[in-house]
Amino acid sequence: MTNEDEPTDGSGKNIEGEAPETEPDADTEDVTVHDDVELERTIGLVGGLSIGIGTMIGAGIFVFPGLAAGNAGPAATLSFAIGGLIALLVALPASELATAMPRSGGGYFFVSRSMGTAYGAVVGLGLWLGLVFAAAFYLVGLGFYAAAVFAELGIGLPFDPVVVLGLLFGVALTALSIGGTENTAKIQNIVVGILLVILTLFLSYGSLDALGLFGRESVPGQFFSQGYFPVLSTAALVFTSYLGFAQVATVAGDIKRPSRNLPLAMVGSVLVVTVFYVLTIFVATSAFDALALERLGETAMVEVAREFVGLPGAVAILFAGLLATFSSANASILSASRTVYALSRDALLPRKASDINLRYGTPHVALLAAGGPILVLVGTGEVAVLAEVASFLHLIMYGLICVAVIVLRRRDPDWYEPSFQMPGFPALPAIGAVASFGLVAFMQLPSIAIGGGVMALSYVWYRYYAGSVELRGDF
Amino acid sequence: MTDRPTVLVPIRVLEGESIPEGVPELLTHAHVVLLGYHVVPDQTATGQARMQYEDRATDRLEEFEEILAEAGATVETRLVFTHEGQKTINRMIIEHDCLAVLVPNATGPPEDVLVAVRGTVGLDRLVRLVGGLFGDTGVAVTLLHVAEEETDEDANTLLDGLVARLVETGIDDGSIDTRIVRDTRPQDAIADAATEYDAVVMGESDPSLATFVFGLRAEQVADQFLGPVLVVQREPPTETESPDDT
Repeated sequence: MTNEDEPTDGSGKNIEGEAPETEPDADTEDVTVHDDVELERTIGLVGGLSIGIGTMIGAGIFVFPGLAAGNAGPAATLSFAIGGLIALLVALPASELATAMPRSGGGYFFVSRSMGTAYGAVVGLGLWLGLVFAAAFYLVGLGFYAAAVFAELGIGLPFDPVVVLGLLFGVALTALSIGGTENTAKIQNIVVGILLVILTLFLSYGSLDALGLFGRESVPGQFFSQGYFPVLSTAALVFTSYLGFAQVATVAGDIKRPSRNLPLAMVGSVLVVTVFYVLTIFVATSAFDALALERLGETAMVEVAREFVGLPGAVAILFAGLLATFSSANASILSASRTVYALSRDALLPRKASDINLRYGTPHVALLAAGGPILVLVGTGEVAVLAEVASFLHLIMYGLICVAVIVLRRRDPDWYEPSFQMPGFPALPAIGAVASFGLVAFMQLPSIAIGGGVMALSYVWYRYYAGSVELRGDF
Repeated sequence: MTDRPTVLVPIRVLEGESIPEGVPELLTHAHVVLLGYHVVPDQTATGQARMQYEDRATDRLEEFEEILAEAGATVETRLVFTHEGQKTINRMIIEHDCLAVLVPNATGPPEDVLVAVRGTVGLDRLVRLVGGLFGDTGVAVTLLHVAEEETDEDANTLLDGLVARLVETGIDDGSIDTRIVRDTRPQDAIADAATEYDAVVMGESDPSLATFVFGLRAEQVADQFLGPVLVVQREPPTETESPDDT
């Protein structure tokens, strides 16, 4: 398949006199063609799924069960199911857009090309910072797991280990991604494979046990033990567990056979993690009642595993938790760096931001633009707020992705020829948009305030820095 | 003259690799697909590398193109930024239906070439390559066969048949020599013999070893020999389906 219909080139200049890069001439299954230069697509379906699943699975299983069950009781399973449904409603239009524009930058790219620079800048800068918040959240989670390892070994630390360990991992990850030339994609695939094996074993055993197959009496508890409203507010909180599928779109320019692999990787990874999340909460709430889970906090799953299979289970989940939160944080830092590149390519950030250093061939400025603010946020140690702000900024983008599909199908510009068309148009994208924006309303006020502040600042930056840049494709 | 055989010359264009000494002379009668490629780490978008390096890479590639064309080859160039050099090279081989890939090492002006003959499989392509490159040039060709279980007689039949076919392509009967070796690993035998020659022509090795850009055996020979190795590619699979979807 060769797609020679590309959005028209952006125009205008930013405050430093830089113009947006021209659009490529064509996309094929193997390359993106720019004049005489080809950019090879090297990530297959397995790689795409592993980015999506690897980014998502860390949070939903290893950080949230305790918090979510504490808020909503056993009905937290429903919160995760709602989150999965909304994610699916966005993954479908995102897939359609990605097959029409398989380019790095993902949601930012779609929104800027369909709705113009102002929306694009708010979404793009929001995506960068949203990923920064998400990565900080994963790192705090990683800190909890690392601290639990020390506790398990009986080693007392003279400081609050969670934040300190989170910061250390943050520094290490940023340094690794700047200086490391190993094949990170292959490592990610292996990590996700190991995680899925551990989780499948644990959840199969746990589910069967919870259903009474091995003679366990499950902990009795009312399903809606905390009432109905917390189901939705918990859905808003745990939505951070569903941010990863959009990361597949941020590397869309690297995906082989994009028309087939992008939709499969995005929709597939959402379906896989939703099943895992719902099962996890089911197993967790059958082992302990909601209040006990809440007391156990971020590493509640370790105790759940201990309850079912004893010490080996606890060790396995500790190990898996370290791996999962680490891989989520890593994937988010890399996606944030890709987003910075996409913004700088379009002259919304200085061109300098996508510079590559000669020594390692890595984009050190963009990686530092991710790693630096992440450390500041890890320092706060506020799991719930970090998670919600990350979700807030992503949900705004998700809502606009749904709107973008409606805009493009209605206007039907020449260059818009998606090879995958989402079903249920226009109802499903409309519901997706309403659900995405609606979920924001169930968040805590501080999160909404911070998220809104980031959006406002993004808009001000755009007006100041790149007010005359126009990125929307011709209609 | 036979048709010009298509030879892929992959050059890591931004890492100081250039067209080594002697290679332009070796490829005088070839149609060269000159692939300039640059491998970027996974953390870096290929487009990011293009923004920064396109001009430099294009300049260097044009320089190389000129060197090859001056020596007599017809040349087309491709410039690719990639995360996996292997995938890019494989794609080029298929897209241009390349008979052989060159492992670019330096050599003197080619006078003696060692051709490793494995068996009857792929002999047509070997003849097209060797005949196309060295027919009517006066370059001396030595055919080397590493015998395993077959008798000397069988091995001789194989080589004599090949000599006859090469003579048809215009290589002088007198400048073709044949050698049969036994009881060594093929890559050792080839590498040992190669020291006396200016270039080596050999087949691809086990296709399952995809981690090696040029195939494991060819890579080992090239490492020991330090001269240019032309690796003859297998007949491309006939299906048009993309070979790797993983």
